[in-house]
Amino acid sequence: MSTCDRAEALRDYAFDELPASERTGMEQHIAVCGDCAAELDQLRVTTAVLRVLPDREIPQRIAFVSDKVFQPSALSRFFGGFWNSAARLGFASACVLAAALIVSAYHRPAPVLAQREIRTVAQTADVSKQINDAVAKAVAQVHQEDTRLFAASEIRHDKEHQALMDAVNVLQARSNYQITTSAEGQ
Amino acid sequence: MIFRSVEDADLISRVRKGDVEAFNLLVSRWEKRVFNYLLRLTGNPDDSLDLSQDVFLKAYQNIRKLDDTARFGPWLFRIAHNETYSHFRKRRPEVDNGDETLIEREPARGPAPDLTIAVTAALDRLTPEQREAVVLKVYEGFKFDEMAQILGTPVSTIKSRLYTALDLLKTELAPTNTRSIR
Repeated sequence: MSTCDRAEALRDYAFDELPASERTGMEQHIAVCGDCAAELDQLRVTTAVLRVLPDREIPQRIAFVSDKVFQPSALSRFFGGFWNSAARLGFASACVLAAALIVSAYHRPAPVLAQREIRTVAQTADVSKQINDAVAKAVAQVHQEDTRLFAASEIRHDKEHQALMDAVNVLQARSNYQITTSAEGQ
Repeated sequence: MIFRSVEDADLISRVRKGDVEAFNLLVSRWEKRVFNYLLRLTGNPDDSLDLSQDVFLKAYQNIRKLDDTARFGPWLFRIAHNETYSHFRKRRPEVDNGDETLIEREPARGPAPDLTIAVTAALDRLTPEQREAVVLKVYEGFKFDEMAQILGTPVSTIKSRLYTALDLLKTELAPTNTRSIR
């Protein structure tokens, strides 16, 4: 084993694991360091000897058939495909948005609903006012008409009373005249 | 390797849509490597074949959990690693104590029996962790970051295991080296 302080970097170099930026420096070092040059040779010989152990052919091929036992179910394929697709992001976003809306709805009144309520209340108050105004107007009209009719009735009544008094006065005068005439005749 | 990764990714997307034949293509690409990895860890061809079946079945059942389809290889070997250690625990509880080397191994067949027997014997003297590091690096050619994914271990630990193992193997195989080179 090399006693050089670059022994580990040398082994990384031997296994092609040294960064490209350090390879040239290491090659220059190996050219001048006898320990590292000998260590590199030993490593190459050892790995070459190890590689004489041949790969064996697999005694029996491994194969899968289109068997339902081995296949994921249609449901799991759907969900598997779904979760590995772009829809995953969209669905997750929709879930987050829905959750946020639900939380928001539970924790504070929705502004749109409040406005609607205010609007409803305002509309109700407006209608009531209109009804009240209309009723007041109608009452005023009725009252005005009553007043007018009452005044007209008063005038008519006064006229009739005056006519009646005139008739009474005429009858009184005629009666006085007849009485006077009769007394003078006797 | 880039083209291979692209093609694997394409096959994986077809498998995810329910195409079993696409998975059979993936199996045919990887079965020999997985089998030999398992064989070098267990030393038993029958166990390795059974474990290979289990590995590919689990891969099929869990392929939707694979995040980066370009790293199908390390992901598959991670399953193989887990299956192997589960198998060791079922078969011999003492494996966890580092006695896995007690399992009788069938010597590998090859053109130079003395050399292959020597290499097999030298690998058997390593701890299971050291042997696995050598197998993944020297035989399967994984990068350190891929090995970290397969083993669930930091790169620094993997390097330590590998380089210690190579020092031991260098000593074990030194006479063989001389013989074979001569």
